[in-house]
Amino acid sequence: MSKEAQAQGVPAQTAAAEKPALHAVTKRPITIAVAGNPNAGKSTLINAIAGSRLHVGNWPGVTVERKEAQFEFSGQKIRLVDLPGTYSLSPYTQEEIIARDYLVYQKPDLVINVVDATNLERNLYLSVQLLELGIPMVMALNIYDEAEAKGFRIDVPGMEKLLGIKVIPTAATKNRGIKELLAAALGVAAAPAQHQPRQLSYGPDIDQAEATLRANLAAKYPEVSQRFPARWLSFKLMEGDEELQRELNLDPQALPREAALEHLRRAHGEDLEALMADARYALASGLTREVLRRPELRKTEITEKIDRIVLNRFLGIPIFLGAMWLMFKLTFDVATPFADWLDALIAGPFMRWTAAGLGLLGAPDWTLSLAVDGVLSGVGFVLVFVPVIFAMMFFITFLEGSGYMARAAFVMDRAMHAIGLHGKSFIPMLLSFGCNVPGIYATRTLENPRDKALTALLLPLMSCGARLPVYVLFAAVFFAAHAGTVIWSLYVLGIALAILMGVIFKKTLFRGEAPMFIMELPPYRLPSLRNLLIHTWEKGKHFLIKAGTYILAVSVLVWFLLNLPWGVEHKRDSYLGKTGAAIAPVFEPLGFGNWEAASSLITGIIAKEIVVGTMGEIYAPGALAAEESEGPAPTFGEDLIEIGGGFVDALQGAGLNIVSTFGVASLAAEDESAGTPLQSAVRGAFTPLSAYAFMAFVLLYMPCVVVAIAMRQEFGSWKWFGVAFAYQSVLAWTVALIIYQGGSLLGLGG
Amino acid sequence: MNLNMMPLGLLAPGEKALIAEVRTRPGATARETDDESAGRLEELGLRIGKEVEMLSRGSGPLLLRVDESRIALARGLAMNIWVWR
Repeated sequence: MSKEAQAQGVPAQTAAAEKPALHAVTKRPITIAVAGNPNAGKSTLINAIAGSRLHVGNWPGVTVERKEAQFEFSGQKIRLVDLPGTYSLSPYTQEEIIARDYLVYQKPDLVINVVDATNLERNLYLSVQLLELGIPMVMALNIYDEAEAKGFRIDVPGMEKLLGIKVIPTAATKNRGIKELLAAALGVAAAPAQHQPRQLSYGPDIDQAEATLRANLAAKYPEVSQRFPARWLSFKLMEGDEELQRELNLDPQALPREAALEHLRRAHGEDLEALMADARYALASGLTREVLRRPELRKTEITEKIDRIVLNRFLGIPIFLGAMWLMFKLTFDVATPFADWLDALIAGPFMRWTAAGLGLLGAPDWTLSLAVDGVLSGVGFVLVFVPVIFAMMFFITFLEGSGYMARAAFVMDRAMHAIGLHGKSFIPMLLSFGCNVPGIYATRTLENPRDKALTALLLPLMSCGARLPVYVLFAAVFFAAHAGTVIWSLYVLGIALAILMGVIFKKTLFRGEAPMFIMELPPYRLPSLRNLLIHTWEKGKHFLIKAGTYILAVSVLVWFLLNLPWGVEHKRDSYLGKTGAAIAPVFEPLGFGNWEAASSLITGIIAKEIVVGTMGEIYAPGALAAEESEGPAPTFGEDLIEIGGGFVDALQGAGLNIVSTFGVASLAAEDESAGTPLQSAVRGAFTPLSAYAFMAFVLLYMPCVVVAIAMRQEFGSWKWFGVAFAYQSVLAWTVALIIYQGGSLLGLGG
Repeated sequence: MNLNMMPLGLLAPGEKALIAEVRTRPGATARETDDESAGRLEELGLRIGKEVEMLSRGSGPLLLRVDESRIALARGLAMNIWVWR
């Protein structure tokens, strides 16, 4: 039967098209799809294979991440496509549908199935389904090192024989087995006909029904049965896969199905989908029994030991809070020296060089102002925060990769119930401290639409990295001695308001029970540095792109709005100034009813860090002049030496900060130089109380445009963004009002 | 037969049991085991005949061992899964 199946399984057209390719296999790039369970180490393996050649995009029409890489291995061009991690190929989640559609319609040359060797049975459940597709397959028996360490003995040759495919043990974190895996893949791709996977028997009843159905289909719908893997197609029709039937335009009544399935239904009941799932599971379970030898006595694993402490009912939450505190602490300790260095670099040498360059070219004065006050101030003020953002992304990636993130969800589950959510919603919220945008995308891991919407609504209240520049500026000016505490209090304010809003939403828009929590807690792993760096880069580069595109464009736009109508004498009379002045009265009761603040807030809608950039352009256009008057300009060489020396100092500073215990040395240190023009201008325009009200307003007012777009993409409509916009505007105004008026009443207004 | 059948959620820490039944009913509210949760349970290996071990039972979700994985499960769901002990 298996020979027959092969002949039918390869559609005539493709077979014809592939023939010439067989001879010229080195010319044509081969396409390899990588499939596997979540937590099977798939992305680590892909990073190990492709590393920096990895290209991250989205699957068409959805926001599920799509990774792809093109490279050469022993002279053969390879295109590697990473499919979303799934537990099965049933069409129930977006990820499953993407994986399945890709395999069925794009027909890759080969599948690499990444399997977690420490958890064979569950992983093989997916493998069994992949084999149904009849695509040549190589199995990467990943995390093999841990399986060995646990005392597992896996009969690899036996597995190859049972499945009829190549099985290569790999340990992606240690870069082991990668070359062997690729070599095996090339071998299979060179002669696909000799590497058809075995068709596993699902038991006589199912096999018989499938054969009958397949023959009927081939007779009645020859063109359809040629387009699809034959065995897969008949299985899907047996299961009554409605989506496929619709897509093929098959009339369910006319399907030659009932006769073939009659015996099956009589013998096993009506629910053939469940029957198939059981048969596949039985196969996975049987295969595992065949090839896996476990040690008789299970050692108490490290994971269990750690979990006993970390998930302890009394210690769990304190440990979690401690971990969060440490993460923020480390982020600022590591990043601040580099931020200072970048700041000096942009305000000093960069501005001087730009001015000198433009001077040499004989460019008119206004271009100098545009370049220095517009672009360099605007983008520069924001770029200074790149180290902070990257450091935070690094620590968040570490928490994800080590497995602790899932524990955080576990520990927080109970607390999250208070706001009508469960522990899993906690992960998007945590990611939001880096940037709200990945937070919005992470709501995808929540199964239930109600959870998704509620989580997305609350998550803009988590203070993201982009709001930090505003806090740092104001805290350094007004609260230098307690800068760390003041900034921390804003994070806490955001969380407290998220809890409050959660309770309100739970009683109004989102009535009904919080859904159930089911989640796998992966074993603890020490993520490799290489992996951490790659993922940190992937997360952080969006911020860089934003700085290079949006913020650059807005900076230029703001400069024009501040300098038009042409020749405007005072910034106040510019377009932006007039708009700011018009809406300023709204902010009067909040303590910052001036046009400068109002204008900055308007531009902050694009991205909140722009608030600082705009203030820089409004308050400190003389920054360059101030720098220059300090003395004779240093030479280019002196600049370079200073830059290099500054970087070394920053490295040293970061090291010292980590070693030294606490006392947020880094932020407090900034206030000595109270003299930057922007800082002194801000000191004149705000009081400590109105500054705090302003920071709270920036924390809470509408999510930035990028978040709006992400919400639109994720929910398919503007509805939830509209709700977020409305409630956050009201919330921001009210909270700032309470802070300012309340503070004034208490006599803090001075 | 019902004598030694009990909800999974009532197992004591350290106890092992075999899954006997996962109760689902059409139109179930979130409190019941809806089909979606049932599907997730199956994918994570919580299916009939499977041995599970209760690892810990605190005030939050339960922690189970199924094969080599550790699964966190809401108590409400665990009460809809019946086991033989």
